[in-house]
Amino acid sequence: MVGYLTSLAIFIATYALFSLGLNLQWGFTGLINFGHVAFLTLGAYVTVLLSLNGVPIILATAAGGLCAALLGLLIGLSTLRLREDYLAIVTIGVAEVVRLIALNEEWLTKGTRGVYSYPLPLDKLAPNIAVKLGMIGILAGIFGMGLWQLWKWVSVLPNEDNAVPSVRRLTRSSLPFFVGYGLCLTVLAVILWLGFSVDFGFLFVAVVPLALGVGIPYLQFKQPIAHFKQQPWGTHGAIAIATFTFSVVMMAFWADVLGLWDYTYKAGLMWLLVVSVAIVFWRLEALVNSPWGRVLKAIREDEDVAKALGKNVFRYKLQSLMIGGAIAGLAGSFYAWQLTFINPDGFISLLTFQAWIIVVLGGSGNNVGTLLGSLIFWAYDAATRFLLPVLLPLDDARLGAFRVMVIGLLMIVLMMWRPQGILGKKDELSLGR
Amino acid sequence: MSYPLEDNPMTASQLSPLLSANGLCKSFGGIKAVQNVTLEVEQGKIVGLIGPNGAGKTTLFNLLCNFISPDQGSVLFDGKPIHTMPCHSIALQGMVRTFQVARVLSKLSVLDNLLLAAPHQTGEKLSNTWVFAQRPSIVNEEKRLRNRAAEILESVGLSHMIHAYAGSLSGGQRKLLEMGRALMTNPKLILLDEPAAGVNPTLIKQICEHVKIWNQQGITFLVIEHNMEVIMSLCDRVWVLAEGQNLMCGTPTEVQSNAKVLEAYLGN
Repeated sequence: MVGYLTSLAIFIATYALFSLGLNLQWGFTGLINFGHVAFLTLGAYVTVLLSLNGVPIILATAAGGLCAALLGLLIGLSTLRLREDYLAIVTIGVAEVVRLIALNEEWLTKGTRGVYSYPLPLDKLAPNIAVKLGMIGILAGIFGMGLWQLWKWVSVLPNEDNAVPSVRRLTRSSLPFFVGYGLCLTVLAVILWLGFSVDFGFLFVAVVPLALGVGIPYLQFKQPIAHFKQQPWGTHGAIAIATFTFSVVMMAFWADVLGLWDYTYKAGLMWLLVVSVAIVFWRLEALVNSPWGRVLKAIREDEDVAKALGKNVFRYKLQSLMIGGAIAGLAGSFYAWQLTFINPDGFISLLTFQAWIIVVLGGSGNNVGTLLGSLIFWAYDAATRFLLPVLLPLDDARLGAFRVMVIGLLMIVLMMWRPQGILGKKDELSLGR
Repeated sequence: MSYPLEDNPMTASQLSPLLSANGLCKSFGGIKAVQNVTLEVEQGKIVGLIGPNGAGKTTLFNLLCNFISPDQGSVLFDGKPIHTMPCHSIALQGMVRTFQVARVLSKLSVLDNLLLAAPHQTGEKLSNTWVFAQRPSIVNEEKRLRNRAAEILESVGLSHMIHAYAGSLSGGQRKLLEMGRALMTNPKLILLDEPAAGVNPTLIKQICEHVKIWNQQGITFLVIEHNMEVIMSLCDRVWVLAEGQNLMCGTPTEVQSNAKVLEAYLGN
């Protein structure tokens, strides 16, 4: 179970990194990139092949990111002066070209047989107690910051319909619950670690917290049900998402702490990934809130205005495409390290569209939303993988198809009910030009 | 050339024009939108550009700013040829345009719309922001720009909307914001494309007042406008276009009483 949770967390974080790149390009600059997987592929292959040939792993990773950025430069130079739909077309093509090169240039990439037994980061690490504690401390710091951000988001939720009591009061009053729940999860993590059934675990992580998180804050009132009914659905949804996120994050945290303690490669990789995501996220936030980011947002809305005001639109688009590409390239390295075997089948266009789902789900142009989108996407994947067989008497193939169908359905519902994504700002949608 | 440039004592020969366009041509397929058009804007003046719908006024604006590159002809601004420059460099030279239908960045705040416009910002360069976006030079610059933006908003009467989304402004307010935004670029010349279109009479007066005040502060204007009152009250000179060609140029009174102009507007 700990191993599984670690893998899940690695998936969440890798896709979060991958999607953060897309969010810079699409969410902030408005570039339609339908070939994001090309950057991931290039990052993965360059890193792996260089490190196989004896280049230190950190340099190989940097080279992977750099190559992905150069690919962005190439795509940008050839298409960014055209209308934006051309970029969409060209990026799809580039992604296929990159994958086909990986498939056919066997002298370099071994084709479908794939590349394996390449060096992995931190795999031979045998940390002593001080290093372990240090790593756990850094991890705790990052997760603490994350939870603090989550908390801030919930407690400043706008009280849309002026419903009483305010969301702020609700969330404040549920703080003890969150803390107690975190402790419960800790105990649960240990119980699961000792070997409980997986079905039971996911029922506990996914369903029970949702019910408790949404319900418990209302127990402070004399008529909890009446108060519950007064709140708009948005509030229940927000608290449910917050609780769910909280439980997944806590589980992942404890899984990694346990993994780091009895040091395993996966736990080390997860640690490295969490640190990378944190750094990338932090830098991206600084960038998009700087004057540089302001220009990007202006370009997203109206290129001509940015041009008329003396901004070199082409250069900004190029920069955005390159940085987004480099981030995806870094995600590619982690993707390869986590799989420990790569071949071109692992880099199909589906990945691009999963990144799109994550970005749109969380709310385009919102980095926190992208992180949340990745978490919800993969938690959904995991929860249905284990829950559905219990609930539905279908064979594996049909269940697989059913799960994808439900994702599509959920996206449609989300687009109808909340077209701006979970964390997007509704005001911005209703504003005309 | 058939228009009476030489008759007027206050012409190019004496005051070197801030902006001058010579022999501009542009065709879209078979349609000759602008043919051999010449235009001069003298330093410190408010110059009008009128003509019936479809005369090519907005196309001319686009040519001047190189939003569309001319087939033939040249544009000189401040003594430098600008028809070969990309449009963002033209704006940085000190010539900024507004749009016929006000184009504000509706999902940014009113303040951000203005801050965006400031030229040559340190924090705009990726090389300055990617490691340390909160460095003092950037923070101080932002503070300075905020103060300047607040001043401009105060002067156009939008300070109460400073943190609102620009998309929530009314049509007239958007025109004002767009002008404020143009002002924020520290321009020498502002090209206004129909500043009074779709704006209520009170606000039109306000806009005219602002243009006059800014003109006294040393900014030159080139104004496309259909509203003759605005033209009469603002402009020192008026250029008339019809069917993509120069028709005449003169003072507003001259233009108003000119038979050719009346014919172009009203037909025979």
